[in-house]
Amino acid sequence: MNRSTLSKAISLGMVTTLFSSMAIAETRVEDIVQRLESMQQEMDELRQQLKNTVTKEEVNEVKQTISSASEWRQPDTLIHMAGYADVGYTDTESEDGSFNVGTFAPIFHFQYRDIAMLEAELELEVGDDGETETNLEYLTIDWFLNDYMTLVAGKFLSPIGQFRQNLHPSWINKLPSAPPGFGHDGAAPVSDVGFQLRGGFPVGNVRTNFAIFASNGPELKTELEGGEYELDGVEAEGFGTDSDGEKTYGARLGIIPVAGFELGLSAATGKATVTSVEDGDSSLLSGEGARDYDVIGADFNWQIDAFNLRGEYVETEVGADNGSGTAASEGAIWETWYTQGTYRLSQSKWELVARYTDFDSPHDSKDQKQWALGVNYLVTNNFIAKLGHEFNDGMSDTDADKDRLLFQLAYGF
Amino acid sequence: MKLPNIKTVLSIGVKALLISGMISPFAFAFDYPEKGNAAAGAKAWSENCSRCHNMRSPSELRDDQWITTVFHMRVRAGLTGQESRDILTFLQGFNSSLPTNGLMTPVSVKGTASQSGKAIYGETCIACHGENGKGTLPGTPDFTQKNGRLSKSDSDLFNSILNGYQSKGSMMAMPAKGGDSSLSNAEVSEVLRYIRQTFGQ
Repeated sequence: MNRSTLSKAISLGMVTTLFSSMAIAETRVEDIVQRLESMQQEMDELRQQLKNTVTKEEVNEVKQTISSASEWRQPDTLIHMAGYADVGYTDTESEDGSFNVGTFAPIFHFQYRDIAMLEAELELEVGDDGETETNLEYLTIDWFLNDYMTLVAGKFLSPIGQFRQNLHPSWINKLPSAPPGFGHDGAAPVSDVGFQLRGGFPVGNVRTNFAIFASNGPELKTELEGGEYELDGVEAEGFGTDSDGEKTYGARLGIIPVAGFELGLSAATGKATVTSVEDGDSSLLSGEGARDYDVIGADFNWQIDAFNLRGEYVETEVGADNGSGTAASEGAIWETWYTQGTYRLSQSKWELVARYTDFDSPHDSKDQKQWALGVNYLVTNNFIAKLGHEFNDGMSDTDADKDRLLFQLAYGF
Repeated sequence: MKLPNIKTVLSIGVKALLISGMISPFAFAFDYPEKGNAAAGAKAWSENCSRCHNMRSPSELRDDQWITTVFHMRVRAGLTGQESRDILTFLQGFNSSLPTNGLMTPVSVKGTASQSGKAIYGETCIACHGENGKGTLPGTPDFTQKNGRLSKSDSDLFNSILNGYQSKGSMMAMPAKGGDSSLSNAEVSEVLRYIRQTFGQ
């Protein structure tokens, strides 16, 4: 190869390289331009977003304004909802076990300063047939008269004893069931409609609390059994009318001589009339007259460190009929008592419970003696898992004689 | 002369009390919201609430929720107005939850305490820990127990008081500084010294 040919070849190579480099450079520039345009677009979007956001300083400024705002920090009217609910499983002797929804009981509070409060509790239950039942457990207007006295007017939980008025909510009751005789058809009255004065006052170092009331009182029902009419039960469920025009008067006095111990005594007296007949001739009711109705009760509560012992006794007596055309001429007595011990295991969330109840009804088939043992796990202080076993002793082949295993989850809010 | 029977007496008594109760508010002044005494409130809270149910931690509800709850309980438990105000003041002062971050560290204890450890314990700690240090509520540690809570180092205990502490099995957490945010580090140190001297083995 001569020098001239070599020089031509080198020149051609250089030109080729130059053109190819230019082509590559052109592609890169286009690439960069594209990326720059894309970044510009993103930046515009970010600027737009920034316009719609606030700085941390601005947030703090708003927070300060809110915290220093006086409105609604202490309004005259307060609205609050509390209540409880429970679900569970019940296995009754010689029957198939069932899951069940117990109760959903929302409590509504509407308060006007420290002058008055409207309280209402609904009781929603799912029955065995799947239907939902709704009841008004209580509805009262509480008028805070002074430091020692509140007027409670409306439908209120009976102040006789402690279980019905304070212990029956499932997140409070230490066992999954109520003691026999303290349920809705037992010896202890459930609720009443009328006026009540409640409060507390110190007497030296002794603290006391009280409740006195005037109310419509209960109604009675009879049942045709074995060819004869008998008083079937006292329906002390807070009636909106007074069928016999005779009022019931009652009171409870609680004494707390030392912290942790309370003793309560209660009584009620009035008249009650038979207003319903089951499986019989309802025309007999026309001659029914008001009968004597008397209740007495006593209760105690003793807290010693992690151990709690409580007990309660209630007796309801209905007199004989004095009128004519009676549906059940004889009087009757319902009596029940229970005592319950609870022990919280040290430094744990476990709790052991034992309760003994003796319920005496005018009907032998409903008499019941019961031992109930339980273990509770306090998931939180208002959410409790309860496992209990009832050893029931009643008339053979009746529900009162069947043992039950119960599991319950109860939540208070 | 025939004496009236017990039913008549009860009936007249109830009517008289209802009527006198309704006219009595004119003899009292309403003052709302009136501040109560937190220490007395802690005592009343620990003595009354557990009469019926498990203790609810103050941190469960906001200030306004505690107002309606306490007034509801005033009716239920037969509390006096003063007891209610004391309990409300205690609950509203103790309902801040434990911090999950930003814990205060006991780097140094500067200054002098303006109250004695005994006085602070008597006002702030006694409601839950008790006069004897054994605890008045389920789950509250027993200071007198050998190898118990006081076997921890001063630094650990100081930190627990400063930031609050949740004891295992206790229904409520101890709030930071026992709920009294006005306590200085020197006063926290002072009350810790008192607790060690009085209840330590």
